[in-house]
Amino acid sequence: MFVVALAKGRFLAPSLDLLARAGILFEEELRESRRLIFQSCDGTCRVILVKPIDVPTYVEYGAADVGIAGRDVLLESRADVLQPLDLGFGQCRIVVAARDGESRVDTDPTIVRVATKYPRIALSYFNSRGTPVELISLSGSIELAPLVGLADRIVDLVETGQTLRDNGMRVVDVITESSARLLVNRASYQTKREDLVRLIETLEVVR
Amino acid sequence: MNSLTQIPPGTQILIGEAVRRRRAVERTLLSVFQGWSYEEIIPPMLDYLDVFVKGMGQELEDRIYRFVDREGKILALRPEFTSLVAKSAATRLAGASLPVRLSYSGEVLRFETPKGGQQREFAQTGIEHYGGDSARADVEVLLICMEGLSKLGIPNFQINLGSVGFFGGLVEAIEPSDGLIDRLRSLLNVKDQHGLDQLLGALDLDPSTRNALREVPHLAGSREVIARGRHLVNSRRSIEALDHLESIYSIIDELGLARHLTVDLGEIRGFDYYSGILFRAYVPGLGFEVASGGRYDGLPAQFGHDVPAVGFSYSLERLEQVLGSGPAPGSDARQESCDQTSFEDAVRLRRAGKRVRICS
Repeated sequence: MFVVALAKGRFLAPSLDLLARAGILFEEELRESRRLIFQSCDGTCRVILVKPIDVPTYVEYGAADVGIAGRDVLLESRADVLQPLDLGFGQCRIVVAARDGESRVDTDPTIVRVATKYPRIALSYFNSRGTPVELISLSGSIELAPLVGLADRIVDLVETGQTLRDNGMRVVDVITESSARLLVNRASYQTKREDLVRLIETLEVVR
Repeated sequence: MNSLTQIPPGTQILIGEAVRRRRAVERTLLSVFQGWSYEEIIPPMLDYLDVFVKGMGQELEDRIYRFVDREGKILALRPEFTSLVAKSAATRLAGASLPVRLSYSGEVLRFETPKGGQQREFAQTGIEHYGGDSARADVEVLLICMEGLSKLGIPNFQINLGSVGFFGGLVEAIEPSDGLIDRLRSLLNVKDQHGLDQLLGALDLDPSTRNALREVPHLAGSREVIARGRHLVNSRRSIEALDHLESIYSIIDELGLARHLTVDLGEIRGFDYYSGILFRAYVPGLGFEVASGGRYDGLPAQFGHDVPAVGFSYSLERLEQVLGSGPAPGSDARQESCDQTSFEDAVRLRRAGKRVRICS
Protein backbone atom coordinates (compact mmCIF):
# COMPACT_ATOMS: atom_id res chain seq x y z
CA MET A 1 0.00 0.00 0.00
CA PHE A 2 1.43 3.35 -1.01
CA VAL A 3 0.11 6.90 -1.24
CA VAL A 4 0.36 9.03 -4.39
CA ALA A 5 -0.01 12.83 -4.22
CA LEU A 6 -1.46 14.32 -7.41
CA ALA A 7 -1.77 17.98 -8.27
CA LYS A 8 -5.23 19.40 -8.87
CA GLY A 9 -5.47 21.41 -12.06
CA ARG A 10 -3.82 20.94 -15.44
CA PHE A 11 -1.64 18.00 -14.30
CA LEU A 12 -4.52 15.90 -13.01
CA ALA A 13 -5.82 14.46 -16.30
CA PRO A 14 -2.41 13.42 -17.71
CA SER A 15 -1.39 12.06 -14.27
CA LEU A 16 -4.51 9.88 -14.06
CA ASP A 17 -4.01 8.71 -17.67
CA LEU A 18 -0.46 7.73 -16.80
CA LEU A 19 -1.55 5.80 -13.69
CA ALA A 20 -4.27 4.09 -15.76
CA ARG A 21 -1.66 2.94 -18.29
CA ALA A 22 0.31 1.55 -15.33
CA GLY A 23 -2.80 -0.43 -14.32
CA ILE A 24 -3.79 1.81 -11.41
CA LEU A 25 -7.49 2.52 -11.88
CA PHE A 26 -10.16 4.24 -9.80
CA GLU A 27 -13.83 3.43 -9.63
CA GLU A 28 -14.86 6.96 -8.96
CA GLU A 29 -14.43 9.84 -11.35
CA LEU A 30 -11.73 11.76 -9.47
CA ARG A 31 -12.01 14.76 -11.74
CA GLU A 32 -15.58 15.48 -10.76
CA SER A 33 -15.58 14.49 -7.12
CA ARG A 34 -15.07 16.89 -4.27
CA ARG A 35 -13.40 14.25 -2.14
CA LEU A 36 -9.64 14.46 -1.61
CA ILE A 37 -8.71 10.81 -0.94
CA PHE A 38 -9.37 7.89 -3.30
CA GLN A 39 -8.60 4.19 -3.14
CA SER A 40 -7.49 2.37 -6.29
CA CYS A 41 -9.65 -0.52 -7.55
CA ASP A 42 -7.08 -3.17 -6.65
CA GLY A 43 -6.49 -1.61 -3.22
CA THR A 44 -2.72 -1.24 -3.78
CA CYS A 45 -2.66 2.52 -3.73
CA ARG A 46 -4.38 5.61 -2.44
CA VAL A 47 -4.43 8.93 -4.24
CA ILE A 48 -4.60 12.27 -2.49
CA LEU A 49 -5.37 15.50 -4.36
CA VAL A 50 -3.46 18.60 -3.31
CA LYS A 51 -2.46 22.00 -4.67
CA PRO A 52 0.38 21.70 -7.21
CA ILE A 53 2.85 23.70 -5.11
CA ASP A 54 2.16 21.40 -2.13
CA VAL A 55 2.98 18.09 -3.85
CA PRO A 56 6.73 18.22 -3.05
CA THR A 57 5.95 18.98 0.61
CA TYR A 58 3.60 15.99 0.99
CA VAL A 59 6.26 13.74 -0.52
CA GLU A 60 9.18 15.20 1.43
CA TYR A 61 7.42 14.60 4.75
CA GLY A 62 6.30 11.13 3.73
CA ALA A 63 2.58 11.99 3.96
CA ALA A 64 2.64 10.68 0.38
CA ASP A 65 5.18 8.08 -0.73
CA VAL A 66 5.27 9.37 -4.29
CA GLY A 67 3.91 12.38 -6.14
CA ILE A 68 3.67 13.92 -9.57
CA ALA A 69 4.66 17.57 -9.87
CA GLY A 70 6.27 19.95 -12.32
CA ARG A 71 9.98 20.59 -12.07
CA ASP A 72 9.08 24.26 -11.56
CA VAL A 73 7.32 23.68 -8.23
CA LEU A 74 10.02 21.22 -7.19
CA LEU A 75 12.76 23.80 -7.78
CA GLU A 76 10.74 26.46 -5.99
CA SER A 77 9.96 24.27 -2.98
CA ARG A 78 13.54 22.93 -2.65
CA ALA A 79 12.05 19.77 -1.18
CA ASP A 80 14.58 17.02 -0.51
CA VAL A 81 13.02 14.14 -2.48
CA LEU A 82 14.12 11.57 -5.05
CA GLN A 83 13.11 12.42 -8.61
CA PRO A 84 13.79 9.29 -10.64
CA LEU A 85 11.60 9.94 -13.71
CA ASP A 86 10.75 12.63 -16.19
CA LEU A 87 7.15 11.76 -17.08
CA GLY A 88 7.19 13.59 -20.39
CA PHE A 89 4.04 15.73 -20.09
CA GLY A 90 3.56 19.28 -18.88
CA GLN A 91 6.52 20.58 -20.83
CA CYS A 92 7.14 24.29 -20.48
CA ARG A 93 9.84 26.83 -19.70
CA ILE A 94 10.47 29.13 -16.79
CA VAL A 95 11.33 32.45 -18.38
CA VAL A 96 12.13 36.07 -17.68
CA ALA A 97 9.78 38.27 -19.68
CA ALA A 98 9.40 42.00 -20.23
CA ARG A 99 7.09 44.38 -22.10
CA ASP A 100 7.75 44.74 -25.81
CA GLY A 101 9.95 47.73 -26.42
CA GLU A 102 11.28 47.77 -22.86
CA SER A 103 15.00 48.31 -23.36
CA ARG A 104 16.55 47.55 -20.01
CA VAL A 105 19.87 45.65 -20.11
CA ASP A 106 21.28 43.39 -17.44
CA THR A 107 24.15 45.72 -16.69
CA ASP A 108 21.88 48.57 -15.63
CA PRO A 109 22.83 49.23 -12.02
CA THR A 110 19.35 50.09 -10.80
CA ILE A 111 17.18 47.61 -8.98
CA VAL A 112 14.85 45.50 -11.15
CA ARG A 113 11.35 44.93 -9.84
CA VAL A 114 10.41 41.34 -10.61
CA ALA A 115 6.88 39.96 -10.23
CA THR A 116 6.64 36.19 -9.89
CA LYS A 117 5.10 33.23 -8.13
CA TYR A 118 8.57 31.65 -8.09
CA PRO A 119 10.47 33.95 -5.72
CA ARG A 120 13.28 31.49 -4.98
CA ILE A 121 13.94 30.59 -8.62
CA ALA A 122 13.81 34.27 -9.58
CA LEU A 123 16.10 35.37 -6.77
CA SER A 124 18.71 32.71 -7.47
CA TYR A 125 18.66 33.58 -11.20
CA PHE A 126 19.17 37.31 -10.64
CA ASN A 127 21.64 36.80 -7.79
CA SER A 128 23.82 34.56 -9.94
CA ARG A 129 24.00 37.39 -12.50
CA GLY A 130 24.74 40.04 -9.90
CA THR A 131 21.54 41.95 -10.71
CA PRO A 132 19.92 43.59 -7.69
CA VAL A 133 16.19 42.80 -7.56
CA GLU A 134 13.10 43.66 -5.64
CA LEU A 135 10.84 40.61 -5.66
CA ILE A 136 7.10 41.07 -5.82
CA SER A 137 5.38 37.79 -4.94
CA LEU A 138 2.06 37.26 -6.70
CA SER A 139 -0.06 34.14 -6.96
CA GLY A 140 -1.58 34.56 -10.44
CA SER A 141 -1.99 36.76 -13.55
CA ILE A 142 1.69 37.64 -13.34
CA GLU A 143 1.61 39.15 -16.87
CA LEU A 144 -0.47 42.00 -15.55
CA ALA A 145 2.28 43.34 -13.27
CA PRO A 146 4.46 45.08 -15.92
CA LEU A 147 1.39 46.40 -17.77
CA VAL A 148 0.20 48.37 -14.77
CA GLY A 149 3.64 49.47 -13.64
CA LEU A 150 3.91 47.09 -10.67
CA ALA A 151 7.08 45.43 -12.02
CA ASP A 152 9.78 45.74 -14.72
CA ARG A 153 10.09 42.03 -15.38
CA ILE A 154 8.26 38.83 -14.62
CA VAL A 155 9.52 35.31 -14.00
CA ASP A 156 6.84 32.86 -15.02
CA LEU A 157 5.97 29.56 -16.63
CA VAL A 158 5.44 29.68 -20.40
CA GLU A 159 3.93 26.85 -22.42
CA THR A 160 3.29 28.31 -25.89
CA GLY A 161 4.01 31.97 -25.24
CA GLN A 162 0.53 33.00 -26.41
CA THR A 163 -0.45 34.68 -23.13
CA LEU A 164 2.74 36.74 -23.23
CA ARG A 165 2.12 37.80 -26.85
CA ASP A 166 -1.52 38.63 -26.14
CA ASN A 167 -0.35 40.97 -23.39
CA GLY A 168 2.36 42.64 -25.43
CA MET A 169 5.30 40.90 -23.76
CA ARG A 170 8.36 39.00 -24.94
CA VAL A 171 10.73 36.42 -23.47
CA VAL A 172 14.03 37.96 -22.38
CA ASP A 173 15.73 34.79 -21.17
CA VAL A 174 14.91 31.14 -20.47
CA ILE A 175 15.89 30.18 -16.91
CA THR A 176 15.20 26.47 -17.20
CA GLU A 177 12.94 23.84 -18.75
CA SER A 178 10.20 22.17 -16.78
CA SER A 179 8.06 19.04 -17.16
CA ALA A 180 6.23 16.60 -14.92
CA ARG A 181 8.46 14.60 -12.57
CA LEU A 182 7.86 11.57 -10.41
CA LEU A 183 8.87 12.39 -6.83
CA VAL A 184 9.64 9.71 -4.27
CA ASN A 185 10.09 10.10 -0.52
CA ARG A 186 13.58 9.04 0.57
CA ALA A 187 12.39 6.90 3.49
CA SER A 188 9.58 5.25 1.51
CA TYR A 189 12.10 4.30 -1.16
CA GLN A 190 13.83 2.22 1.52
CA THR A 191 10.87 0.95 3.55
CA LYS A 192 8.53 0.22 0.58
CA ARG A 193 11.23 -0.56 -1.94
CA GLU A 194 9.53 -3.46 -3.73
CA ASP A 195 6.27 -1.61 -4.40
CA LEU A 196 7.96 1.61 -5.41
CA VAL A 197 10.66 0.14 -7.64
CA ARG A 198 7.91 -1.79 -9.46
CA LEU A 199 5.91 1.43 -9.85
CA ILE A 200 8.93 3.37 -11.15
CA GLU A 201 9.81 0.64 -13.63
CA THR A 202 6.22 0.40 -14.89
CA LEU A 203 5.88 4.16 -15.27
CA GLU A 204 9.19 4.32 -17.12
CA VAL A 205 7.72 1.95 -19.73
CA VAL A 206 4.23 3.46 -20.08
CA ARG A 207 5.05 7.18 -19.81
CA MET B 1 7.22 40.80 18.75
CA ASN B 2 7.62 40.46 22.47
CA SER B 3 10.91 38.64 23.01
CA LEU B 4 10.02 37.88 26.61
CA THR B 5 6.98 35.78 25.77
CA GLN B 6 7.80 34.29 22.36
CA ILE B 7 10.37 31.57 21.75
CA PRO B 8 12.88 32.00 18.88
CA PRO B 9 11.96 29.93 15.79
CA GLY B 10 13.31 26.38 15.88
CA THR B 11 13.71 26.12 19.63
CA GLN B 12 11.49 24.05 21.89
CA ILE B 13 10.64 23.48 25.50
CA LEU B 14 9.99 19.93 26.74
CA ILE B 15 7.86 19.40 29.83
CA GLY B 16 6.41 16.44 31.73
CA GLU B 17 5.78 13.34 29.62
CA ALA B 18 7.90 14.74 26.77
CA VAL B 19 10.90 14.98 29.11
CA ARG B 20 10.32 11.49 30.54
CA ARG B 21 10.15 10.15 26.99
CA ARG B 22 13.33 11.99 25.99
CA ARG B 23 15.24 10.69 29.02
CA ALA B 24 13.94 7.15 28.53
CA VAL B 25 15.05 7.07 24.88
CA GLU B 26 18.41 8.57 25.78
CA ARG B 27 18.91 6.10 28.64
CA THR B 28 18.07 3.13 26.44
CA LEU B 29 20.52 4.19 23.74
CA LEU B 30 23.33 5.09 26.15
CA SER B 31 22.95 1.72 27.84
CA VAL B 32 23.31 0.00 24.45
CA PHE B 33 26.49 2.02 23.83
CA GLN B 34 27.75 1.13 27.29
CA GLY B 35 27.00 -2.51 26.57
CA TRP B 36 29.42 -2.31 23.63
CA SER B 37 32.08 -0.68 25.87
CA TYR B 38 31.72 2.91 24.67
CA GLU B 39 32.86 5.56 27.13
CA GLU B 40 30.57 8.58 27.39
CA ILE B 41 32.07 11.99 26.71
CA ILE B 42 30.53 15.41 27.41
CA PRO B 43 32.10 17.83 24.93
CA PRO B 44 31.76 21.62 25.17
CA MET B 45 28.71 23.47 23.83
CA LEU B 46 30.91 25.70 21.68
CA ASP B 47 34.27 25.67 19.96
CA TYR B 48 36.15 27.67 17.33
CA LEU B 49 34.24 27.93 14.06
CA ASP B 50 37.12 26.36 12.11
CA VAL B 51 36.67 23.08 13.98
CA PHE B 52 33.23 22.61 12.43
CA VAL B 53 33.97 24.05 9.00
CA LYS B 54 36.78 21.52 8.56
CA GLY B 55 34.36 18.73 9.26
CA MET B 56 31.04 19.76 7.78
CA GLY B 57 32.38 21.44 4.67
CA GLN B 58 31.62 24.78 3.07
CA GLU B 59 28.04 23.98 2.13
CA LEU B 60 26.94 23.67 5.74
CA GLU B 61 29.06 26.51 7.02
CA ASP B 62 26.20 28.97 6.53
CA ARG B 63 24.05 26.98 8.91
CA ILE B 64 26.33 27.41 11.89
CA TYR B 65 25.38 29.76 14.73
CA ARG B 66 28.50 31.81 15.36
CA PHE B 67 29.65 34.71 17.46
CA VAL B 68 32.80 36.63 18.30
CA ASP B 69 34.51 36.30 21.68
CA ARG B 70 36.27 39.12 23.51
CA GLU B 71 39.58 38.47 21.75
CA GLY B 72 37.94 38.65 18.34
CA LYS B 73 38.05 34.88 17.71
CA ILE B 74 35.03 33.41 15.94
CA LEU B 75 33.25 30.79 18.03
CA ALA B 76 30.35 28.56 17.06
CA LEU B 77 27.62 26.69 18.90
CA ARG B 78 28.08 23.03 18.04
CA PRO B 79 26.15 22.08 14.86
CA GLU B 80 27.15 18.40 15.23
CA PHE B 81 29.27 16.19 17.46
CA THR B 82 31.59 14.31 15.14
CA SER B 83 34.16 17.10 14.64
CA LEU B 84 34.01 18.03 18.30
CA VAL B 85 34.47 14.47 19.57
CA ALA B 86 37.26 13.85 17.04
CA LYS B 87 39.05 16.94 18.31
CA SER B 88 38.55 15.91 21.92
CA ALA B 89 39.87 12.44 21.18
CA ALA B 90 42.86 13.85 19.32
CA THR B 91 43.80 16.22 22.10
CA ARG B 92 42.84 14.30 25.26
CA LEU B 93 43.22 10.68 24.19
CA ALA B 94 46.14 10.89 21.77
CA GLY B 95 48.19 8.42 23.81
CA ALA B 96 45.36 5.97 24.56
CA SER B 97 45.54 2.48 23.15
CA LEU B 98 43.38 1.94 20.09
CA PRO B 99 40.60 1.46 19.35
CA VAL B 100 39.04 4.31 21.32
CA ARG B 101 35.25 4.07 21.69
CA LEU B 102 33.27 7.17 22.69
CA SER B 103 29.57 7.99 23.01
CA TYR B 104 27.77 11.30 23.46
CA SER B 105 24.30 12.73 23.86
CA GLY B 106 23.18 16.33 23.69
CA GLU B 107 21.76 19.22 21.73
CA VAL B 108 23.19 20.70 18.55
CA LEU B 109 22.14 23.86 16.71
CA ARG B 110 21.78 24.48 13.00
CA PHE B 111 20.24 27.40 11.24
CA GLU B 112 17.97 25.42 8.94
CA THR B 113 14.30 24.81 8.21
CA PRO B 114 12.77 22.63 10.92
CA LYS B 115 11.75 19.28 9.38
CA GLY B 116 10.50 15.91 10.47
CA GLY B 117 10.15 16.99 14.09
CA GLN B 118 13.71 18.26 14.07
CA GLN B 119 14.00 21.91 15.07
CA ARG B 120 16.98 24.27 14.78
CA GLU B 121 18.01 22.99 18.16
CA PHE B 122 17.85 19.21 18.20
CA ALA B 123 19.20 16.28 20.16
CA GLN B 124 21.71 13.75 18.90
CA THR B 125 22.87 10.61 20.63
CA GLY B 126 25.68 8.70 19.00
CA ILE B 127 29.08 7.05 18.99
CA GLU B 128 32.50 7.41 17.43
CA HIS B 129 35.00 4.59 16.96
CA TYR B 130 38.69 5.44 16.38
CA GLY B 131 41.41 3.07 15.18
CA GLY B 132 41.22 -0.65 14.65
CA ASP B 133 40.41 -2.74 11.60
CA SER B 134 38.03 -0.72 9.46
CA ALA B 135 35.76 -3.50 8.15
CA ARG B 136 35.25 -4.84 11.68
CA ALA B 137 34.68 -1.36 13.10
CA ASP B 138 32.12 -0.61 10.37
CA VAL B 139 30.22 -3.80 11.22
CA GLU B 140 30.40 -2.94 14.91
CA VAL B 141 28.76 0.48 14.52
CA LEU B 142 26.08 -0.91 12.16
CA LEU B 143 25.22 -3.61 14.71
CA ILE B 144 25.03 -1.03 17.49
CA CYS B 145 22.76 1.16 15.36
CA MET B 146 20.47 -1.84 14.78
CA GLU B 147 20.48 -2.88 18.43
CA GLY B 148 19.52 0.60 19.57
CA LEU B 149 16.48 0.63 17.29
CA SER B 150 15.47 -2.87 18.43
CA LYS B 151 15.87 -1.96 22.11
CA LEU B 152 13.58 1.02 21.56
CA GLY B 153 10.96 -1.42 20.34
CA ILE B 154 11.23 -0.50 16.65
CA PRO B 155 11.31 -3.87 14.87
CA ASN B 156 10.97 -2.79 11.23
CA PHE B 157 13.84 -0.53 10.33
CA GLN B 158 15.87 -0.39 7.16
CA ILE B 159 19.50 0.68 6.96
CA ASN B 160 20.59 2.08 3.63
CA LEU B 161 24.31 1.46 3.19
CA GLY B 162 26.43 3.23 0.59
CA SER B 163 30.06 4.07 0.09
CA VAL B 164 31.71 7.24 -1.18
CA GLY B 165 34.53 5.05 -2.56
CA PHE B 166 32.46 3.50 -5.36
CA PHE B 167 31.48 6.87 -6.84
CA GLY B 168 34.90 8.33 -6.00
CA GLY B 169 36.60 5.63 -8.07
CA LEU B 170 34.17 6.13 -10.94
CA VAL B 171 34.92 9.82 -11.33
CA GLU B 172 38.69 9.53 -10.86
CA ALA B 173 39.09 9.61 -14.64
CA ILE B 174 37.03 12.81 -15.01
CA GLU B 175 38.76 16.17 -15.01
CA PRO B 176 37.55 17.88 -11.84
CA SER B 177 36.64 21.06 -13.72
CA ASP B 178 33.70 23.46 -13.53
CA GLY B 179 32.13 21.75 -10.55
CA LEU B 180 31.25 18.83 -12.82
CA ILE B 181 31.64 16.22 -10.12
CA ASP B 182 29.44 18.26 -7.79
CA ARG B 183 26.76 18.41 -10.49
CA LEU B 184 26.98 14.65 -11.00
CA ARG B 185 26.77 14.16 -7.27
CA SER B 186 23.69 16.36 -6.89
CA LEU B 187 21.89 14.55 -9.75
CA LEU B 188 22.74 11.16 -8.25
CA ASN B 189 21.63 12.34 -4.81
CA VAL B 190 18.06 12.66 -6.11
CA LYS B 191 18.33 9.77 -8.59
CA ASP B 192 17.46 12.19 -11.41
CA GLN B 193 17.88 9.88 -14.40
CA HIS B 194 16.68 12.50 -16.88
CA GLY B 195 19.12 15.16 -15.69
CA LEU B 196 21.91 12.60 -15.53
CA ASP B 197 21.31 11.50 -19.12
CA GLN B 198 21.33 15.11 -20.28
CA LEU B 199 24.58 15.90 -18.47
CA LEU B 200 26.35 12.70 -19.54
CA GLY B 201 25.21 13.19 -23.13
CA ALA B 202 26.98 16.53 -23.25
CA LEU B 203 30.25 15.16 -21.86
CA ASP B 204 33.19 13.62 -23.65
CA LEU B 205 33.51 10.46 -21.55
CA ASP B 206 34.74 6.98 -22.32
CA PRO B 207 31.72 4.69 -22.88
CA SER B 208 32.34 2.46 -19.87
CA THR B 209 32.42 5.37 -17.40
CA ARG B 210 29.31 6.89 -19.00
CA ASN B 211 27.48 3.58 -18.81
CA ALA B 212 28.51 3.02 -15.20
CA LEU B 213 27.39 6.51 -14.12
CA ARG B 214 24.05 6.01 -15.90
CA GLU B 215 23.49 2.84 -13.87
CA VAL B 216 24.31 4.29 -10.44
CA PRO B 217 20.72 5.37 -9.58
CA HIS B 218 19.60 1.77 -10.12
CA LEU B 219 22.28 0.19 -7.97
CA ALA B 220 20.13 -0.16 -4.88
CA GLY B 221 18.78 -3.34 -3.35
CA SER B 222 20.14 -6.40 -1.59
CA ARG B 223 23.49 -8.15 -1.97
CA GLU B 224 23.24 -8.67 -5.75
CA VAL B 225 23.78 -4.92 -6.19
CA ILE B 226 27.43 -5.38 -5.22
CA ALA B 227 27.89 -7.96 -7.98
CA ARG B 228 26.15 -5.70 -10.50
CA GLY B 229 28.46 -2.88 -9.47
CA ARG B 230 31.52 -5.05 -10.14
CA HIS B 231 30.59 -5.45 -13.80
CA LEU B 232 30.56 -1.70 -14.27
CA VAL B 233 33.90 -0.56 -12.89
CA ASN B 234 37.60 -1.25 -13.14
CA SER B 235 38.92 1.51 -10.90
CA ARG B 236 40.79 0.07 -7.94
CA ARG B 237 39.10 2.44 -5.52
CA SER B 238 35.62 1.40 -6.66
CA ILE B 239 36.50 -2.29 -6.46
CA GLU B 240 37.94 -1.91 -2.96
CA ALA B 241 34.74 -0.15 -1.91
CA LEU B 242 32.69 -3.07 -3.27
CA ASP B 243 34.93 -5.64 -1.54
CA HIS B 244 34.48 -3.72 1.67
CA LEU B 245 30.67 -3.63 1.34
CA GLU B 246 30.68 -7.34 0.49
CA SER B 247 32.58 -8.26 3.64
CA ILE B 248 30.29 -6.09 5.81
CA TYR B 249 27.20 -7.58 4.17
CA SER B 250 28.35 -11.16 4.65
CA ILE B 251 29.03 -10.73 8.38
CA ILE B 252 25.64 -9.08 8.90
CA ASP B 253 24.02 -11.81 6.80
CA GLU B 254 25.60 -14.55 8.94
CA LEU B 255 24.11 -12.86 12.02
CA GLY B 256 20.67 -13.12 10.40
CA LEU B 257 20.24 -9.34 10.15
CA ALA B 258 20.60 -8.84 6.39
CA ARG B 259 16.87 -8.16 6.03
CA HIS B 260 17.50 -4.78 7.66
CA LEU B 261 20.24 -3.86 5.22
CA THR B 262 19.95 -2.28 1.76
CA VAL B 263 22.99 -1.56 -0.36
CA ASP B 264 22.69 1.69 -2.32
CA LEU B 265 25.73 2.61 -4.40
CA GLY B 266 24.08 5.94 -5.27
CA GLU B 267 24.01 6.89 -1.58
CA ILE B 268 26.76 9.52 -1.47
CA ARG B 269 25.02 12.33 0.39
CA GLY B 270 26.55 13.71 3.51
CA PHE B 271 29.15 15.89 5.12
CA ASP B 272 32.42 16.42 3.26
CA TYR B 273 34.33 14.42 5.84
CA TYR B 274 32.91 11.01 4.87
CA SER B 275 35.58 8.79 3.30
CA GLY B 276 34.19 5.24 3.27
CA ILE B 277 30.84 3.73 4.11
CA LEU B 278 27.88 5.93 4.91
CA PHE B 279 24.46 4.87 6.07
CA ARG B 280 21.02 6.10 7.07
CA ALA B 281 18.34 4.29 9.05
CA TYR B 282 14.69 4.56 8.07
CA VAL B 283 11.55 3.46 9.87
CA PRO B 284 8.12 2.89 8.28
CA GLY B 285 5.81 5.83 8.86
CA LEU B 286 8.43 8.57 9.05
CA GLY B 287 9.58 10.39 5.91
CA PHE B 288 13.03 11.21 7.28
CA GLU B 289 15.98 9.14 8.50
CA VAL B 290 16.18 8.47 12.24
CA ALA B 291 19.92 7.82 12.30
CA SER B 292 22.88 8.46 10.03
CA GLY B 293 26.60 7.97 10.03
CA GLY B 294 29.66 6.78 8.21
CA ARG B 295 33.43 6.53 8.03
CA TYR B 296 35.59 9.66 8.07
CA ASP B 297 39.21 8.57 8.14
CA GLY B 298 40.67 11.97 7.26
CA LEU B 299 38.99 13.96 10.01
CA PRO B 300 41.01 13.06 13.15
CA ALA B 301 44.22 13.91 11.22
CA GLN B 302 42.89 17.48 10.85
CA PHE B 303 43.20 17.67 14.64
CA GLY B 304 46.67 16.15 14.66
CA HIS B 305 45.75 12.53 15.39
CA ASP B 306 45.81 10.39 12.25
CA VAL B 307 43.55 7.42 13.02
CA PRO B 308 40.71 5.85 11.03
CA ALA B 309 37.27 6.70 12.38
CA VAL B 310 33.63 5.71 11.99
CA GLY B 311 30.47 6.70 13.85
CA PHE B 312 26.80 7.57 13.71
CA SER B 313 24.10 9.40 15.60
CA TYR B 314 20.39 9.05 16.20
CA SER B 315 18.01 11.97 15.96
CA LEU B 316 16.09 11.80 19.24
CA GLU B 317 13.22 14.02 18.07
CA ARG B 318 12.60 11.75 15.10
CA LEU B 319 12.79 8.60 17.21
CA GLU B 320 10.27 10.16 19.58
CA GLN B 321 7.96 10.83 16.63
CA VAL B 322 8.16 7.17 15.66
CA LEU B 323 7.57 6.01 19.21
CA GLY B 324 4.42 8.16 19.45
CA SER B 325 3.03 10.15 22.30
CA GLY B 326 2.11 7.41 24.79
CA PRO B 327 3.68 7.21 28.22
CA ALA B 328 7.46 6.87 28.17
CA PRO B 329 8.80 3.33 28.58
CA GLY B 330 9.65 2.72 32.24
CA SER B 331 7.88 5.94 33.15
CA ASP B 332 6.68 6.05 36.76
CA ALA B 333 4.46 9.07 36.21
CA ARG B 334 1.40 7.15 37.29
CA GLN B 335 2.89 5.99 40.57
CA GLU B 336 0.62 7.18 43.35
CA SER B 337 2.00 10.04 45.37
CA CYS B 338 0.69 10.68 48.85
CA ASP B 339 -0.21 14.22 49.70
CA GLN B 340 1.52 15.28 52.94
CA THR B 341 0.84 18.21 55.17
CA SER B 342 3.64 17.55 57.67
CA PHE B 343 7.30 17.70 56.74
CA GLU B 344 7.96 15.04 59.36
CA ASP B 345 5.76 12.54 57.48
CA ALA B 346 7.23 13.62 54.17
CA VAL B 347 10.83 13.04 55.30
CA ARG B 348 9.92 9.64 56.80
CA LEU B 349 8.21 8.54 53.57
CA ARG B 350 11.11 9.83 51.47
CA ARG B 351 13.53 7.76 53.57
CA ALA B 352 11.40 4.77 52.69
CA GLY B 353 11.75 5.70 49.02
CA LYS B 354 8.14 6.79 48.60
CA ARG B 355 6.96 9.64 46.42
CA VAL B 356 5.47 12.56 48.34
CA ARG B 357 3.80 15.83 47.50
CA ILE B 358 3.62 18.62 50.04
CA CYS B 359 0.15 20.15 50.41
CA SER B 360 -0.08 23.78 51.35
